[in-house]
Amino acid sequence: MDIKASDQVKETVAKRGLKVDDVMDVIKTAEGGNKKAVDKNTGKILAKKVINNVTVYADYNVEKGILKSHANVNSAYSHRMTLGKIVNATEPSNWTCAHCNAPAFLGTAEMTYMGVSRNGPAVVCPKCGDVWVEEYLATKTLAAAEGLFEKKKA
Amino acid sequence: MGYEESFPPMDMKWHANATKRFASPFVDNPHDRIDVDPIILSHAAVACGYTIRDFYEKPELGIHCVGYISQLYDLLPVTHWFYSMPWTRELGLKLQYKETLPPISTGPILSEPGDVDKLRVMDKEELKKNFTQQEFYRIYDYVAKNLPMTLVPISYGFDLVGAAAELVGVENFIMWTFTEPEAAKKLVKIYTDTSVNGAAALADKYGMAMLIVGSVLANNDIFSDDAVEEYSAKMMRYYVDQAFRKGAGPQVFYHLCGNHETDYKVFKDNLIWSPFTVFHIGYKGKNVFPSKLLKEEYGQKATLMGSVDTKLMINPNPVSVYNQAKEQLLGGRDAPKGYILGNSCECPPYTLPGQMLALVKAARDFGTYGSW
Repeated sequence: MDIKASDQVKETVAKRGLKVDDVMDVIKTAEGGNKKAVDKNTGKILAKKVINNVTVYADYNVEKGILKSHANVNSAYSHRMTLGKIVNATEPSNWTCAHCNAPAFLGTAEMTYMGVSRNGPAVVCPKCGDVWVEEYLATKTLAAAEGLFEKKKA
Repeated sequence: MGYEESFPPMDMKWHANATKRFASPFVDNPHDRIDVDPIILSHAAVACGYTIRDFYEKPELGIHCVGYISQLYDLLPVTHWFYSMPWTRELGLKLQYKETLPPISTGPILSEPGDVDKLRVMDKEELKKNFTQQEFYRIYDYVAKNLPMTLVPISYGFDLVGAAAELVGVENFIMWTFTEPEAAKKLVKIYTDTSVNGAAALADKYGMAMLIVGSVLANNDIFSDDAVEEYSAKMMRYYVDQAFRKGAGPQVFYHLCGNHETDYKVFKDNLIWSPFTVFHIGYKGKNVFPSKLLKEEYGQKATLMGSVDTKLMINPNPVSVYNQAKEQLLGGRDAPKGYILGNSCECPPYTLPGQMLALVKAARDFGTYGSW
């Protein structure tokens, strides 16, 4: 699969302290194992991989060509909290777990940072237990929470 | 002369210790004892010789009183200031300051269900220029300048149902939940969306905004469990979800004042739980909500705040505060995600200092980490 990222996306990736190669790795791993969430309305795909204790996400779409498919990266982001087990699945979402071919839900999952486990909002697949964090949560809510953990632990 | 000139400087040694104590339930880092947050508002002004009206009419003075008096009682080292009807002026109410009360609505109310269609959600940019947001900007700018170590910018959705009900008259609203449920739901949604935009406006300016949202009017004295879930719990979820999407959070304080005898269960799977969430319930029937039950039901969800009955804070019998605080501490102090001792609602303006001492003394006697 070819993976394409615009200059704008590459700039965002760099600003967020990520490497384009890591984002490509996330996509390849997700496509290889079919471990990803797919937006049933837009076809947008959310994939993640833990790289050096950081969970890196790729938000991308796949265009299927005659000979091969192309992945177009829309965005990439990360969080340092470690995702744990699902606490609850509260309401339906637009996401489907590709691995289970089952609906994913908005819910709550355990999140651990600096040895402290608390709950946080996430997209969850109750069938396989996989958990994803959407971009607005990772870049705002969880990023601020990580900062608070660091400040309060100091 | 600014209000800051009326107060001695903060005791930074006290503040440093109180800050460590405040952090402890959120990061599993036990400090000296369980923290105490009696939800001080106008009591802080009264304790400094000002009036209840001063607290609300002069927000900078009010919030400085909170920061100052927290030292005396050895409470949380953060400042806060608010009244229960934020955003209602923007949606058409006039508020009147009173000598012995928080601001009250003098209307005009929307008396017909069809009038709700005339209301519209105020967007973020409009809110930034209007009364409530300007007031919040004023107090947080004041704190940033004069008490920066106590600054936590807080946006209040507060009582989504209760504040919305004020727009049409509380009695009308309760009736509409039976006869005109669509109008009642639309009203709460408009109020909630406006509150969300307020949170976003605060986050725009300060980079974050703690969210305080509650279920006060929506309680078992008035509504069934189903109605509390539909009108309140689901809207509280919506408020936090939308506010997070617009950059507010990550701290959330869920404040369930009033009688939540059986409806306390409906919040569990409706609310959004962030890593810095505090969950608080005032009463179960006529009694304070038992911290033991709170821990069993919500201990795995969030940091908990236990309640001592606010009535006891003005009852001339300090040991009644001490005994109830002891019982609550024994029931909740080992909550897995932390515990804070509080009052069931705002501590009364004329709270007796001896009762406040009893509250904190109980935390010192029964809330010392490692002693249980």
